[in-house]
Amino acid sequence: MLKIENIEKSFGQLKAVNGVSLEIEKDDIFGLIGPNGSGKSTLFNIISGFYRKDKGEIYFDGERIDDLLPNQIVERGLCRTFQVSRAPERMTVLENMLLAAKNQVGENPLNALLKRPMVERSRKKNLKKAKELLSELDLFHLKDEYSGNLSGGQKKLLALGRIFMLEPKMVLLDEPTAGVNPTLTNNILKGMQNLREKTENSFFIVEHDMGVISDVCRKVFVLNSGEILAEGSPEEIQQNDKVLDAYLGRN
Amino acid sequence: MPIANFTIYLFTMFGIYALFAMSLNLQVGYAGLVNFGQVAFFALGAYTSALLVVKAGLPIAVGIIAGMLASGFFGCLLAWPTKSLKSDYWAITTLAAGEVIRLFALNEKWLTEGPFGVMNIPQPLEGLIDKYYNIFYFIFVLIVVAVVYMLLSMLTDSPFGRNLKAIRDAEDLSKSLGKNTQKIKVQVMAIGGLVAGLAGAIFAHYMVYISPENFRPLETFLIWGMIIVGGRANNRGAILGAVVIQTFYVSTRFVGNYVPIGSDLMSAARMIVIGLLMVSFLIFRPEGLLRERKKTYPDEV
Amino acid sequence: MEISQIIVNSLIRGAELSLLAIGLTMVYDILGFANFAHTEFAAFGAFLGFTFNSLLGINLLLSVVLAALLTGLIGILLDLSIFEKLRARNAKTLTMMIITMGMGIAIRNISRLIWTSSTKNFPMPLLQPLKILGARITRVQLGILFIAAISMVAFHLLLHHTKFGKALRAISDNKELARASAIDSAKMVQWMWFVAYSYAVIGGTMLAIEHLLYPRLGFDIIIPVFCAAILGGIGNPYGAVLGALTLGFAENVIISLDFGPLFSLGGLFDVGSLQLSTGYKPAISFMILILVLLIKPTGILGEN
Ligand SMILES: Nc1ncnc2c1ncn2[C@@H]1O[C@H](COP(=O)(O)OP(=O)(O)OP(=O)(O)O)[C@@H](O)[C@H]1O
Ligand SMILES: [Mg+2]
Repeated sequence: MLKIENIEKSFGQLKAVNGVSLEIEKDDIFGLIGPNGSGKSTLFNIISGFYRKDKGEIYFDGERIDDLLPNQIVERGLCRTFQVSRAPERMTVLENMLLAAKNQVGENPLNALLKRPMVERSRKKNLKKAKELLSELDLFHLKDEYSGNLSGGQKKLLALGRIFMLEPKMVLLDEPTAGVNPTLTNNILKGMQNLREKTENSFFIVEHDMGVISDVCRKVFVLNSGEILAEGSPEEIQQNDKVLDAYLGRN
Repeated sequence: MPIANFTIYLFTMFGIYALFAMSLNLQVGYAGLVNFGQVAFFALGAYTSALLVVKAGLPIAVGIIAGMLASGFFGCLLAWPTKSLKSDYWAITTLAAGEVIRLFALNEKWLTEGPFGVMNIPQPLEGLIDKYYNIFYFIFVLIVVAVVYMLLSMLTDSPFGRNLKAIRDAEDLSKSLGKNTQKIKVQVMAIGGLVAGLAGAIFAHYMVYISPENFRPLETFLIWGMIIVGGRANNRGAILGAVVIQTFYVSTRFVGNYVPIGSDLMSAARMIVIGLLMVSFLIFRPEGLLRERKKTYPDEV
Repeated sequence: MEISQIIVNSLIRGAELSLLAIGLTMVYDILGFANFAHTEFAAFGAFLGFTFNSLLGINLLLSVVLAALLTGLIGILLDLSIFEKLRARNAKTLTMMIITMGMGIAIRNISRLIWTSSTKNFPMPLLQPLKILGARITRVQLGILFIAAISMVAFHLLLHHTKFGKALRAISDNKELARASAIDSAKMVQWMWFVAYSYAVIGGTMLAIEHLLYPRLGFDIIIPVFCAAILGGIGNPYGAVLGALTLGFAENVIISLDFGPLFSLGGLFDVGSLQLSTGYKPAISFMILILVLLIKPTGILGEN
């Protein structure tokens, strides 16, 4: 479903991603691990169109996407969250959810003025869905809070909520549970599994917590200094000497 | 009747500047696009309408609409090279564009009459109403303000408006949710341009005479003062700001007639106050007099 | 116009703009916002220098130095009273930028209130201009070039051979780290304002000596100065100098070019000589700015 071939990216002298190739199939959860600064976020930024690659190709659903803009990539059904959650300061949690809804009639300024009934209908539909999702994620009581005022964990949960509104085919999550308390982590993981059952989409997640990885991922890729060091099931990875040296050995 | 006339003049100006401030508010307050050259849009609206009516003899309604379109088109044009850049670049590019439009008006004498300006600009229905013409024009402006306020509120309450706020507060996030932020920026500059152009055209037909002097950068700073004092991302704030700043501006000019320090120094003192007002509001009350309202959805589903 | 004359004029213009652009670019680099009051302080400082020189009769060089020091001090005071507080509050750089715009309006009009809108001339001895390779250059202009060169060498030494310069470059390289050692960097930031405004005053005074001094001077040069800084890659002081020189040349070349042959399409139409009307001179830097933004927004020296 997502195929990455020989991606390279440098910042000045630093080779942040150095010839990464990997493939992600449909309907499953994949992990990406690696020490700090190994290039995980950079790789996600390249896949999602936020950074331009220097070299290499990326295919999604058989279509080349590495020269598309971020919004065009989202339109094709591939979306992402950020390691540092983005939370609009003066938009409420509910507005955040509505923001993410796809194909809203009123996003076009002319429609917003002229096609009032259609705008209203699409609004009602999205509102209903947003409220249901917020209840599922246990965020409903915060619906009128400004998203800028949420805690770190709540922001991550909200990020997941927005993704639910988008209904993508594939999601890249950058450290969805980092710095989040156990209860919220549970909420986030439960939400992720729920969404997968409903829509059969796949997840590609960067995660530092090996427990989480073992619980949810079928296959894990290990990145080190911008290169793929190993790939395999969580168990295999945990036994791999190279990986232990580079990454787990440090913990 | 001078006091009555003065009051009607003041209120008409409130209306024109309210339109002008709302156009800036849409760009700055909602979309976070810093525009330091908004006067260019005002000038384009004014000149286009005035010239089409005076020189080409077109009806005033056509002139006003053409003025809006010219200014809206200019918004697209300006947004094009800068749409992917940071706000600092918007700020300087728009500032410069404002100056270029003024230079054009000053230098292209064959078209704009240069520094002499365009004179004898016709007014709508001027033959039909004469005695209470300024009251008529005030009511006309009032209706326009009401309609524009309504339309802008519809826009800012819509998903389009929500996209604007998202670009302002977290542009990355909007992109990651599939929003074409560059297109939205072009759209918002165009809409802001339409409204500012309308304000300019109405101004031209009210003043009957315009020259490059009417479109100095000072005008941009005044409306910045209005939205900073009144409150951004709130159309009522923009209107309130227009009333406050315009009252201060006009009344000090009035006072200036009686204080023997000369009009130049008076206007310097006035602008110092406006500059300091902007700085102090941003430090001590950054949200302005009327803060941005939280958008809630009462339990309807 | 003689080529040598174009070169001389461009060098002078570039030198003046450099001194202004350096400070603008430095503040942007360290604090992350565009300072729209920068050139206003330059004009204000030029007025101070004018007052010392022509009203109090202090020697010109000394007057300029005094004015530069005083304006630099104002920069420090404003940082202490306004920007430092906003930084502590984590105010957005956008807010800071708009504040500088308000500040600029205030300063410009304070100059107008004190010195009125009437234009002023620095009293300069009228001497025969020298001729160098066919180009006319006055002694005053030579002095301007000389002082600009010294100022730039001094800036280079400041950046590379003082504690301040090293700290400044360290802050520039790693802003996260700099925030961790806040006290030190706060002091550096104040010195930076001092240097930025002092240099701006020197550049502003040169412009005023060569042309005229009036309250709107600061506003009239804001676009070229920004253009120079962006052209050189904003945040890079050496780039700013390069950008200023490039802009100086571009302005003078475009002004002296005859576009006639271009539009006659090889003699097909008789359009005579077509020169850009001098009324549009201020627009040149805007056109260049737009071109840069379209082609390479990171400037000549910037990375993509
Ligand atoms: N925009 C950028 N400009 C310059 N260098 C960058 C940029 N983004 C990332 N880098 C550098 O690239 C390297 C890889 O960074 P990246 O954020 O991808 O690591 P990561 O694996 O996500 O690390 P972490 O676990 O800390 O999130 C780092 O050395 C980082 O400093
Ligand atoms: Mg990362």
